Amino acid sequence: MTSVIKKKDKSFSLFNFVLELLMIVLAVFVALPIYYLFVTTFKTPQEALEHPLRLPTHFGFQQFVDAWNAMDYLNVLKNNLIITISSVFLVVMVSAMASFPLARRRHKLNKTLFFLILSGIMIPYQIAIIPLFRLMKTLHLIDSQFGVIIIYTFVFMPLATFIFHGFIRTIPTEIEEAARIDGCGVGQTFWKITFPLLRPATATVVILISLNTWNDFVFPLLFLQSRDKGTILLEVYRNVGQFSTDWTHMFPMLVLGILPIFIFYLVMQKQIIKGIASGSIKG
Amino acid sequence: MKKLTLRQVKQELKYEAFLIPALVGLALFFIWPIASSIYYSLTDWNGLNPESHFVGLKNYIKLFQDSDLMDSVKHTLLYAILMTLIQNIFAVPLAVALDANLRTKNVLRLIFFAPAVLSPLVVGFLWSYLMSPNTGLFWSLGLHINFLGNPQIVMYSLIFVSVWQYTGWAAVIYLANLQGISQDYYEAAKIDGAGRWKQFLHVTLPLLAPSITINVINSMVGSLKIFDIVMAMTQGGPGSSSETITTILIKRSFTEYRYGYGSAIAVMFLAITAVISLVLLKYLHHREEKVV
Repeated sequence: MTSVIKKKDKSFSLFNFVLELLMIVLAVFVALPIYYLFVTTFKTPQEALEHPLRLPTHFGFQQFVDAWNAMDYLNVLKNNLIITISSVFLVVMVSAMASFPLARRRHKLNKTLFFLILSGIMIPYQIAIIPLFRLMKTLHLIDSQFGVIIIYTFVFMPLATFIFHGFIRTIPTEIEEAARIDGCGVGQTFWKITFPLLRPATATVVILISLNTWNDFVFPLLFLQSRDKGTILLEVYRNVGQFSTDWTHMFPMLVLGILPIFIFYLVMQKQIIKGIASGSIKG
Repeated sequence: MKKLTLRQVKQELKYEAFLIPALVGLALFFIWPIASSIYYSLTDWNGLNPESHFVGLKNYIKLFQDSDLMDSVKHTLLYAILMTLIQNIFAVPLAVALDANLRTKNVLRLIFFAPAVLSPLVVGFLWSYLMSPNTGLFWSLGLHINFLGNPQIVMYSLIFVSVWQYTGWAAVIYLANLQGISQDYYEAAKIDGAGRWKQFLHVTLPLLAPSITINVINSMVGSLKIFDIVMAMTQGGPGSSSETITTILIKRSFTEYRYGYGSAIAVMFLAITAVISLVLLKYLHHREEKVV
């Protein structure tokens, strides 16, 4: 018996060894463009052309300083943070609240409303851009960060509601019923009992919506005209268009463009990967 | 009795009140824009002039005479179908490999998923540089192909970049599904004498049905909306060989100030997306039910 297991283990480890080598080679190819982006920012044009993949021989930071200044980086970083954090907060509030009656009161009306909200996931938001533009003009929300935040809130509300709805359905109703017997109203029951139990779903929503709003550049492009209200990607888009032939200027900007999310990913990768996986499977 | 129903109604209303912000948003930001898109599509509104005239179905007839638009529909469908197929065909084995007991599995997961968190705009700029003739990385490594300048291959270059970026995302979703599959199934398959390949075919693949549904719909719906990466890499060029529905929609509406016509494109786009999503959902759910 033991010999059988040993034998199996051996063939298994050989298979795993080959698989591991294969995966490492593949991973090197996948990582190559990002590696190239980072090392090239430190090289002179001459060096980059002659030895594209070599580590840089010296580390200069002047090009980063230039890119930082050209993009007014601190300001756009601040704008990005304001827009992303506010949007995510509003999406969580609006969607968690909406999912409560949808999951707990499943009569015909709510089933229809749920279906209506779900169809919002499928519908490409680009088709609404022209009327949205007009709506925002009427509401005087053109060139306002608040306008972009409101749009994000409702563009991502359907997806978030779907995730919360799926999660609430897995929570037994007994806890809520007990709270009701103890005299909690509907509102108190939700905020004191149900909402805190939604933490795992909230984490998924926060991660998904943060990535989506942070990386979007269409809405800021259309709705934020003043440069001082813009986002990081808007600056990348404007500057790179201008310098598209001069990549010694372009690469540091690209690095600054992805740096915050890249650091966020390196620090939080376990939670991010878990959040995305569980959010997709649960529903 | 009557009093009780009144109380019940009151309580129902207390529940329904939680829906108010979402429904206001839904009405203002989805239903109203779609309804008014349909209305604008029947006018010659230019977006600036408050006046517009009713033109009937003229804009819709023009859609079919707009050869750039017709090409862009073809490009978008080509992109969406190939992207969905390739991404998922690569992501399943990738997930199985990442699920195996490898020593470097955490680093491997970190690397394969990394491109998915980056902005498609920056990714697009980076790759357009890597793929550029003469100075680009591929060229200097001896691969003398004009990836983005050749109208015959430009769409495939865009698909390649998107596959690079999003296969890890799909793999992570498959991975979560794989980790939920009980080892008992594999033990039973082994007893029946199934090898690694047969186990994959008869145990893993059928039990991945739920995540296949999610991933196929995700990549299909996401791919139809392709915009950022095109704007960063080709702006629809060379010529109009990489225009997609969204880039044409934005150009016709905002660059050429033809809002009425742009709205007709939007309505057509909505119809295409709705049909594809419904067909996919129906087919995949049917398949899933057959498996379970």
